[in-house]
Amino acid sequence: MKKKLFVFLVALVAFASLLSARPYAQVAVIANPSVKATAISKGELSDVFTGASSSLSDGSHVVPVLLKQGAAHETFLSDFIGKSDAAFRTTWRSLVFTGEGSMPKTFNSEAAMVDYVAATPGAIGYVGKGTEHDKVKTLAVK
Amino acid sequence: MKRILAGAIALVIGAATWGAAQSLEDLNIQIHGYATQGLLYSTQNNVFTAATSDGSPSWSDVVVNVTAEPLPKLRVAFQARYFLLGTQGNALTLDWASADYKVNDRFGVRFGKVKTPSTMFNEIQDVDPGYLWSLLPQSVYPILSRNTVLTNYGGVVYGTVAPIKELGKFEYRAWGGESIIASTDGFFIPIIDAGTDYPNGLSGPTYGGALHWLTPVHGLMFGASITHDDQTGPVTIPVQGFSGNTLPNPFVIPDFYGKYEHKRFMFASEYERVVVTHEAVFTVGPPGVHSSYLDHRNSYAMASYKVTDKLTVGMYYSNYIDRKAAIGPGNYQKDWVVSGRYDFNQYLYAKAEQHFVDGEGIVYDTRDNRSGLKPQTRLTALKVGVSF
Repeated sequence: MKKKLFVFLVALVAFASLLSARPYAQVAVIANPSVKATAISKGELSDVFTGASSSLSDGSHVVPVLLKQGAAHETFLSDFIGKSDAAFRTTWRSLVFTGEGSMPKTFNSEAAMVDYVAATPGAIGYVGKGTEHDKVKTLAVK
Repeated sequence: MKRILAGAIALVIGAATWGAAQSLEDLNIQIHGYATQGLLYSTQNNVFTAATSDGSPSWSDVVVNVTAEPLPKLRVAFQARYFLLGTQGNALTLDWASADYKVNDRFGVRFGKVKTPSTMFNEIQDVDPGYLWSLLPQSVYPILSRNTVLTNYGGVVYGTVAPIKELGKFEYRAWGGESIIASTDGFFIPIIDAGTDYPNGLSGPTYGGALHWLTPVHGLMFGASITHDDQTGPVTIPVQGFSGNTLPNPFVIPDFYGKYEHKRFMFASEYERVVVTHEAVFTVGPPGVHSSYLDHRNSYAMASYKVTDKLTVGMYYSNYIDRKAAIGPGNYQKDWVVSGRYDFNQYLYAKAEQHFVDGEGIVYDTRDNRSGLKPQTRLTALKVGVSF
């Protein structure tokens, strides 16, 4: 009985781990090759994409860019930034309406974002892992 | 003169960078804005110079913001606003216009007509899409006199530093310039009610600083700010035919606050003390220096919870006491508030809020309550807004 319970619990934990690992498997954080870092912490990512910071811990200057909508956008916001789309845009609008920031450049497609990030020093964005992004750097999320 | 200088510098910077940019696209011009329409209904007292006991829709805000980023570290922007609340506003005004140069995260400078980064919410207190509440706690953020503290003509230096990584980060802000309170500002309503008038408003130097400690505990922030003000101007007492000038009387406003955000939960609290000695000398009227004093202790505690991605609810308790006023309903105001906000999508939202007000220390205009102020009032605020 105890063995069955143990197996059940292990299976449950494994299933939960799979669920929690889902977003990391689906979204890639990308950057222009000029960005020195090879990895970024979730806290840094949140700071950069909410306008609280414009550099990474290694000193790299970064400029965030966004997708207008879509699965990759929703997943990135909910799992890396911890905000809904409405709350996320509210944060940026507060910066705009107080003179403390301007909205990040926004793209309609992941391909357009990849092209922009590839061509713009310091640019940092995100795409679904299925989207081709060979010409940009992929940052591991710590 | 200082205003003209600050505006001219901002314009020159803007023009120079416009010239340096290769095309309109290089300027990265963005246009944003928002509009809100509110409805106020109260029992007992009328509030905010509106006939709210009948239900008043005289509560509108329309804001347009234009931002250009001609260089990666330089941003030039201005914001215009139409504001109406009761009999106040009903005019198009310049919210702010500034040039911002951010060297890096550790240091940046902004100048022109700039938002004053004092207290916890001063910079965003007029940015309705930015928060849950229909009305921020009126003890610290009275809506009718917010223009007195929102902006100054001068500059701000700002940055974030982390001298010891284990201690988290420190955000600093320091500002200095000229503060101007127009004679039509809501700040003067109770003063005019009491028989005194400032025909040219008040103006004078303002400066201060704020420090925010972003602690190693994720989401926990403690902050403090201190503001130094010294506004003067002509003063009259029309009924008695007196006229003269106020005397310089510098005063400081210390403010302490903290906020904790964890997932869907937010808790915040703030305390400030405003001690002012006001002195005037009449050139026409009785001789000598005429003095008055106020000692306000303002505070609140608030909490909110994000029920779903679209629905946020919250409540706060706001407390105002004037230690120099005669004891009674007129020297305090306590306000229990429950509030909700629903975001239909990234553009459209609605808010509903209920206030249970005890005391009559602030927000009332005796001209709109001719049968006398009542000690308790219920206030319902409904609002719909759109932002882009």
